[in-house]
Amino acid sequence: MAFTPNALCFGSDLPGQGIPCHVDTTPEGLALAFSGDSGQPAGQTVSFGRLSLEAGGFDHDQLVMKWAQGGAGRTLYIKDAAAIAAFRCTAPPELLAHFDRAAASVRQARATRRTVLLVVVGLLVALGMGAWLGSDALVTWTVGLIPTEWEKQIGEAAMQDVLAQQEVIWEGPAVEAAKEMTTRLTEQIPNSPYRFTVTVVKSPVVNAFALPGGYVVVFTGLIREANSPEEVAGVLGHEINHVLQRHGLERIVKTLGVMAVAAILFGDQQGLIGLAKQLGVEIVTLKYGRDQETEADLTGLRLLHKAKVDPAGMITFFERLAQSEKDKERVELLSTHPMSAPRAARLKAELATLPKFVPEPFALDWEKIQSSLKSVSPPAKS
Amino acid sequence: MKSDILYPGAFPMARVQLAAGESLKAESGAMVSISPTIDVESKVEGGIFKALSRRVLTGEHFFFQTLRATRGAGEALLAPTVPGDILVLELDGMHEYLVQKDGFLAGAEQITIESKMQSLSRGLLGGEGFFILKISGTGQLILNSFGAIHKVELKPDEDYIVDNSHLVAWTATTSYKIEKAASGWISSFTSGEGFVCRFRGPGLVYLQSRNPRGFGAWIRQFMPATSE
Repeated sequence: MAFTPNALCFGSDLPGQGIPCHVDTTPEGLALAFSGDSGQPAGQTVSFGRLSLEAGGFDHDQLVMKWAQGGAGRTLYIKDAAAIAAFRCTAPPELLAHFDRAAASVRQARATRRTVLLVVVGLLVALGMGAWLGSDALVTWTVGLIPTEWEKQIGEAAMQDVLAQQEVIWEGPAVEAAKEMTTRLTEQIPNSPYRFTVTVVKSPVVNAFALPGGYVVVFTGLIREANSPEEVAGVLGHEINHVLQRHGLERIVKTLGVMAVAAILFGDQQGLIGLAKQLGVEIVTLKYGRDQETEADLTGLRLLHKAKVDPAGMITFFERLAQSEKDKERVELLSTHPMSAPRAARLKAELATLPKFVPEPFALDWEKIQSSLKSVSPPAKS
Repeated sequence: MKSDILYPGAFPMARVQLAAGESLKAESGAMVSISPTIDVESKVEGGIFKALSRRVLTGEHFFFQTLRATRGAGEALLAPTVPGDILVLELDGMHEYLVQKDGFLAGAEQITIESKMQSLSRGLLGGEGFFILKISGTGQLILNSFGAIHKVELKPDEDYIVDNSHLVAWTATTSYKIEKAASGWISSFTSGEGFVCRFRGPGLVYLQSRNPRGFGAWIRQFMPATSE
C-alpha cells in the first residue's frame, strides 16, 4: 500500500522541516506510520495519556500534539481535516476537553485580534483628535513626566557637542565674572533642582544660551558688547529662567513629538537622550515661542530684582542692541530675542510693579574684564 | 518540471526544464529566454478577484506568466529583478510556506498561491506589510532573495530572532511575533534595528543576507535631490 502522509512530525533529533508521517486514531491511541526511508520505526502507537494538544500553524488551523519520547520530545502538526475528525471521534473525553480548550483559545485569539484592531484604530483617532485639540497641554503634561536627572543628562550630552565645536575659555577675569554673576542670581532660587554652571566660549557673536539641566553658555562677544556687568546679568537672568521654566524641554518634546512621549511613557531614558543628542546643536538653536520668551523675561526680571541687580540693565542693553542694527548677523541675541516695543513696555511695566530697591552693583572692574578678552577674542569685523 | 540554478551567487538564473505538456507559473517579467517549444501565456492566477487582491494587498504582480511546453519538451531561463540568490524548494503537499511579497519567482503549475493577512502588530511593525503570500501544493517552488539565502532550522520550541527586513520565507509550522530589537522603544530605532521577528520552531526560516530597504536608503544618498 502506498504511503500517504497526513501529518508532519518534529523533534529535537529530527530535521528542522519535520518528517511526513501518517496518523491514524485507534482505540489504543495515536498510530504513527513513517515511510521506510525516514529512519524512524515504521509503526508506533502513542497512548492518549501521553498527549497534550494545542492549535498551531499560521492560521491556527492545525492540530498540534506533543508527547515525550525517550530523551526527545515529539511534536506533530496535523492539518488534514479527515485525520482531525477521526481523532475527535475516537479520543477519550478528557483529551477532547483539551481539544475544545485549544479550539476555544483559537476563537478567543481571533476575537482578541479583532478587538485589538478596533481599540487601536479608536485610540489612533482619539490621539489624533487630542493632539489637534490640545497639543500645548499635551506637551506640558509630557514635560512634567521627565525627571530632572534625565534633563541634566540631555543638557550634558548637548553641552558636550557644543564644547566640541567651540573654543572654551577655562580661566581668567571674564570666566570669574560670569561665575560671580551666575552665582549671585542662582543663590536667589530656593530649592532649585538644578546646579547651574556657566561656560565662556570664545566667539565674536553677541549671545548667550542655556541648555536643559542648567548649562549656561556665554559668548565673549556678549561680554565685550555690554557696558556693564548688570547688562550681562540681565541676559543671564533671562536664560536661567528658560531652564527653570523647562522651556528647552518643551521645545524638545514638541520637536520629537510622539517619539518623545513614547520614550517617556516607557521609561526609555537612554533612547530619549540618544534622540536629543542626535538633535545636538539643534537644541542650542531651538527657537523659543513668544509665550516662553515673555515668561523668561518677566521671571528673569524678578530674579534680578531679588538678587538686587539693577534690572534696567536688561532693558537698556536690548534696546541699545536693537538701535545699532548695523551688525545684525553678529548680534544673534536679537534674532532669538527681538526687542519689540511691546516687549520693552511689558518689562518696564513689570519693573514698575516691583518694590523700589537700591541696586547693589557688581564689584567687578568691567573695563579690565573686557580688555582681558582682547587677547583671546579679536574685535569682530563689521 | 526540473530546475537547477545557473551562476549561483549575486546574479543567478533558474533553468527550468519542462516535459511536453508541463507548465510553470512565474513572476511576470521573470523570463529571460525559452525554447521555441514553449508558449508564454499571461494568466490571472486564481481568478480576477484573487489576483486583484494579491496585486492590491501584497504588491505582487496582477498577472503571472504561464510558460507551457505545448509543442514538446523545452527549457526556460528565469531571473529575478534584484541581485541575489535563488532557492528551489520541493513542495510535497505537506509543507506550506509563507513568503514575503517580493520573494516569489516561479513555481510548478500545481502550487497554490494565496494572500494572507497578518495580525495588526505583524502588519504594522513586521516590515512585510499586512499581507504575505501563503504557498502550498505539490511541485517545485522557486524563491528569490536580495543577497544570499541562509536557511535556519528550528527544533520544537526553539526561538530565533530575525531583523524583519531580512526575511524571505518560513514554514507555516513556525510561529512568530514582532518585538523591539532593544529593551527600549527609542533605543530600538537608534540601534538601527527597529523591530525584529521572534520565530519559534519547529520549522524552517529562510533569510536574505541583504536588507532591500537599507540598500535603498544607502543608494538614495547618491541620487540628485531634484531631476531637471
